[in-house]
Amino acid sequence: MQNVVKVEEPQSSVKLALFYALIAAAVVGIYAGSLFSPSILESIVTNHYDFWACLGLALAGWIFRSVGGHKGAIVTMTVLASFIILTLHQPMLLRYLTFAALLFSMGLYGMVQSRNTVRVLLSIELMLNAVNINLIAFSRYVDPVALKGQLFVIFVLTVAAAEAAVGLAVVLAIYRSRQTVDMDKFTLLKW
Amino acid sequence: MGQDLLPPLLSAPVVETWAFYILTTLSICLAIAVLVDRVVIRSGFILIGVFGTISGIFLLLSAQFLALAQIMIYAVGITLMVVIALMLTNPRLEREQAVGYYDESLPPLAKIFASCKRNLSLWVSVLSFVTLYSALIGENHWPLSDQAVSPDAVKVLGEALVTNYSIPFEFSSVLLLAALMGAVMLAKGESKNRDDDNVAIVDEAKKQENNLALQR
Repeated sequence: MQNVVKVEEPQSSVKLALFYALIAAAVVGIYAGSLFSPSILESIVTNHYDFWACLGLALAGWIFRSVGGHKGAIVTMTVLASFIILTLHQPMLLRYLTFAALLFSMGLYGMVQSRNTVRVLLSIELMLNAVNINLIAFSRYVDPVALKGQLFVIFVLTVAAAEAAVGLAVVLAIYRSRQTVDMDKFTLLKW
Repeated sequence: MGQDLLPPLLSAPVVETWAFYILTTLSICLAIAVLVDRVVIRSGFILIGVFGTISGIFLLLSAQFLALAQIMIYAVGITLMVVIALMLTNPRLEREQAVGYYDESLPPLAKIFASCKRNLSLWVSVLSFVTLYSALIGENHWPLSDQAVSPDAVKVLGEALVTNYSIPFEFSSVLLLAALMGAVMLAKGESKNRDDDNVAIVDEAKKQENNLALQR
């Protein structure tokens, strides 16, 4: 038990997030500036090496993380850089769709990984928001007159509100009987 | 004047690109903070920021009504409910463990393998993103239209809700009523037929858990 060391906790996630947002804005600025003059990144885009560039970035970040880097910083920088590389040469609709796909898979990760039940519900809300972005982007770029996508978003909002109410009530009921909100301790329905 | 100036300014590609990247950067950072933060109630508050930036993206897509509905329903209603549920379930005792622990005596390569094994769900989500992205890239025949969204979009939405989509509209109201009644029934619980021995045992267990959490 002595040689198990806790990785340093992020002190304040809001400060960290703002810091990374600044860095990412700088990255976007550099990359957008490189659109006017050819560079390495430009050659990546024109030769369609973007997927492999993102894979290499993720692998480098993963190796750095597993040797002992800060988890939040590595993950944030990798995700942001991959997102910018993947979307900057796309048309607007594909940018929105890629952002929605990213948000959806982040919500999927949170839903599977987290052990607190309330955080699982938060991740489900993230996934529903990704679906909403998809629908609104399609209604903006494919069907801007009848706006059927926005209609569907209204229904998704309704169902999300109902889902959150029922889910939190279930969490409260389970907490009342089991005195915990840990997903691993919910074994009532286990055979 | 601003009314006339804003839509052509937003439709200019450079401005839309910059606004898109600023908003998505903010919302990706905040969403990662929601997933990574150890204190659940803080991540619940950060979620308000995620919903705010997503409503900004709705504004970029010229869906003004849905942006305001997003703020009202998600950023105020659902997040407030989550925070109240967190306060009722006392999450400070439930710090999530076994996520950031690793054995320091291992060599670096073994650490890499151990973290791969531990974070399998991360790889699953990365795979799902790659699948979605390759599906998006492969499909390049969207029937795009060049028209802008009509300025009376709210009128279009309202008319569609009471004519073509009136039956789902009514059913969604029934669904909301049923869900809220079910939520009240579930959360109310039964407090009359608990016998005193159980209450004493539960109180004792709670006290021990509190002491443990204070010692930590």
